[in-house]
Amino acid sequence: MSNNQIAEKESQNSEKEVKQYIVVQIGSEKYGIDISYVDNIVRMQKITRVPKAQVYFKGIINLRGEIVPVMSLRLKMGLEDDNFTSASRIIILKFEDKGSLGVIVDEVCEVVNLSDDQIENNNISSSHGKDSFINGIGSNGEQLISLLELGAIVDEKDNA
Amino acid sequence: MDVSQYLEIFIDESGEHLQTLSDCIMELEKEPDNKDVINEIFRAAHSLKGMAGTMGFKRMQHLTHDMENVFQEVRSEKIHVDSQMIDLLFKCLDAIDGYLENIKASSDEGEEDNEVIIKELNNFLAKANGEAPAEPAAPAEPAKEEVADDGNHRLYKEIELTDQEREAVVAAKDSGMHIYGVTVLIQKDCLLKAARAFLVFREVEAFGEILVYRPSSQDVEDEKFDLEFSFYISSSESFEKIQKAAKNVSEIEDVVGEELTDFAPKVVEEEKKEEPEAKPAETKPETKPAPKAPEKKSAPVKKASAGKPATSRTVRVDIEKLDALMNQVSELIIAKNSLVSISSTEEGGFNNQGFHEQIEYLERITTSLHESVMKVRMVPIESVVNKFPRMIRDLSRTLNKKMELVMTGEDTELDRTVVDQIGDPLQHLLRNSADHGLEDTEVRLQRGKPEVGTIFLNAYQEGNNVIIQVGDDGNGIDIEAVKGKAIERNIITPEQAEAMSEKEIINLLFMPSFSMAKKITDISGRGVGLDVVKSNIEQLGGDVEVKTKLGEGTTFTVRLPLTLAIIQALMVEVRDEKYAIALGSIANIESVPAKDIKYVEAKEVIHLRGSVIPLIRLDKLLDLPPHEEDPENLTVVIVKRGDSQVGLVVDDLMGQQEIVIKSLGKYINGNKLISGATILGDGEVALILDVNTLM
Repeated sequence: MSNNQIAEKESQNSEKEVKQYIVVQIGSEKYGIDISYVDNIVRMQKITRVPKAQVYFKGIINLRGEIVPVMSLRLKMGLEDDNFTSASRIIILKFEDKGSLGVIVDEVCEVVNLSDDQIENNNISSSHGKDSFINGIGSNGEQLISLLELGAIVDEKDNA
Repeated sequence: MDVSQYLEIFIDESGEHLQTLSDCIMELEKEPDNKDVINEIFRAAHSLKGMAGTMGFKRMQHLTHDMENVFQEVRSEKIHVDSQMIDLLFKCLDAIDGYLENIKASSDEGEEDNEVIIKELNNFLAKANGEAPAEPAAPAEPAKEEVADDGNHRLYKEIELTDQEREAVVAAKDSGMHIYGVTVLIQKDCLLKAARAFLVFREVEAFGEILVYRPSSQDVEDEKFDLEFSFYISSSESFEKIQKAAKNVSEIEDVVGEELTDFAPKVVEEEKKEEPEAKPAETKPETKPAPKAPEKKSAPVKKASAGKPATSRTVRVDIEKLDALMNQVSELIIAKNSLVSISSTEEGGFNNQGFHEQIEYLERITTSLHESVMKVRMVPIESVVNKFPRMIRDLSRTLNKKMELVMTGEDTELDRTVVDQIGDPLQHLLRNSADHGLEDTEVRLQRGKPEVGTIFLNAYQEGNNVIIQVGDDGNGIDIEAVKGKAIERNIITPEQAEAMSEKEIINLLFMPSFSMAKKITDISGRGVGLDVVKSNIEQLGGDVEVKTKLGEGTTFTVRLPLTLAIIQALMVEVRDEKYAIALGSIANIESVPAKDIKYVEAKEVIHLRGSVIPLIRLDKLLDLPPHEEDPENLTVVIVKRGDSQVGLVVDDLMGQQEIVIKSLGKYINGNKLISGATILGDGEVALILDVNTLM
């Protein structure tokens, strides 16, 4: 590939930055999780309850010899409690500063590529007085995907 | 040369040398004439200087060099050790430590020149040489403006001959030549020093042969010298002629020298040689002498780690421990291979004896492997407590109290992680003892106590714990005063105070921002106090207790787990959940008939062998639904911490097991009761109860 072509490709990329999102189902909505944070997706397994922990923490699991805390996204977002099915999955997210965290989702649907112009920044401030966990809405064809702000999910301040 | 790869070693070793120096100087203070100690100091200072030089830390090198010079004089008995000097030496150590801290933080030694200290050092040297303190003629005085001073003229005298050179000189002398030692000084603003030196050599070589060059002719050619260079020349002409010829070269400040007759090997300490090299560090930037090289060296270090901390945490491991590990790993491989061969040769024959033997073998290896790895992580607390004698000495000065630190069990080993973090709490406790604990000298004498107060630090191993006791023979804690203070600060009401036991009142001292100091000093009393000590120690899985007797002294007992990683634990079951309780904190296990439960203040207790033990229902504590009705007999695990005991009611015992402690991570919080989790043999996760929080 000549230098010209590389430069062209790069400029294209910077024009239309494409990010990959894992689309998951939680309740009636579809949410997108930035794939760069996703370490792994595992099937539902036995979660060991941790007494006195924050309510939205379901407990901890043994992920190949490592202890990983598991959070219920439903409870964190103020929805009703999880009802585990065979489609339920734990998505293991990895953060540089705080380590791994599992989040429970009802179902993992697909992986989509969203470019900047497919994402609408979420300007609608949350009306419930709660902090929003969404930082944008992606449209993939007919589908609308709420993009999760993972920082807000990890942040303890809102619900603690 | 890129020296960044050596940085860690440098930091490690410098730290060790500093510690040696500190220890020895303390020793020296007690016995100023101890030759062994002086030699030891000298060696440490010398290595420190050498290492700093290699790494290109010029300031550090300069300071250590001057320090070494002072020791040199002490060694040759020109200077006597006095307290002023000891103080100065400690100041030097602190300054070097400062450099080292800078290097650790940013791979750079920083900008502090510590000129004051260097000046003081040189004053000592000057005194030793019988000169007025301010005279800059001392060998190591920063040669800034007074380069042309007398002290520098006689460098040819300090030339130390190699055997070869000596042979040549003696041979020339025997053939009837005069041997002259000459030192040439070049003007400060001279730009082409090497060229001037070359001209000087050419001129003088008209009269004879130059036998010895200092610095070497190669170095002179490369301009690797400061403003002067020296040589020995053999000639049949008079010295004046040679001197004149050399002076004719332009930009030459001065030429001095004389005829030499005695070439017996000089007993000159090796460091003398380095003087001309060390001096350039002080010269003006436009004259680029020896420091050139170090500067080049240090540049990549700075770039490579642009301000990033240079250290990673390391453990120095005895090679024997590593050998043991290696052996066990090889055994492990053998065991694995045997298993492989069994599984491939005897299909389905998994019940046979060989297989079981191999499993047992494997078990044995993993256990010893585990022990070895643990041992590797263990380091003696020495590295932490070694700095305390010095600290107490300084405190003794600042507080103007006579005190002495007695330490035992410095070789007690603890997990590296614990050792790293135990320093601050211990230091705090010692400061406390020095400041609050010990009385003033007059008070002590009045009370009939020895004038010198004793502060002690005893460390020893007790079961799976390491105990470190810190205390003093001072005033002890005045319970009433603590009570008064607590009431004054509205921490407790007077009524509460009445009902509190002595122990509970002493525990008030561990409350945040509770300081008993009447006045705030540098040493303590800022309210960041025992609460921090306590929380630090608790973070390490340990606890701290106080015993005190008014007028007789106070002892803080710090109890730390031997290791953080692996413990022996009792596994218990509560409903269908499994929990681990550290075996070290279990006193005994009882089966208690439900009807034996008594009530005190509406709380369940049991009466067991003369003591009343409060009961805690684990199911209730852990938010589990209670049993509809009690079984006939309750299984009670009695846990202890110090003198207090609590009975935990569990559903079932599963047995003892070695567990690997894993952290719950940073997400789940507000949970002091659960100190971690562990993974059981079947992959299930069990939580570890920190029973210390229950008492």
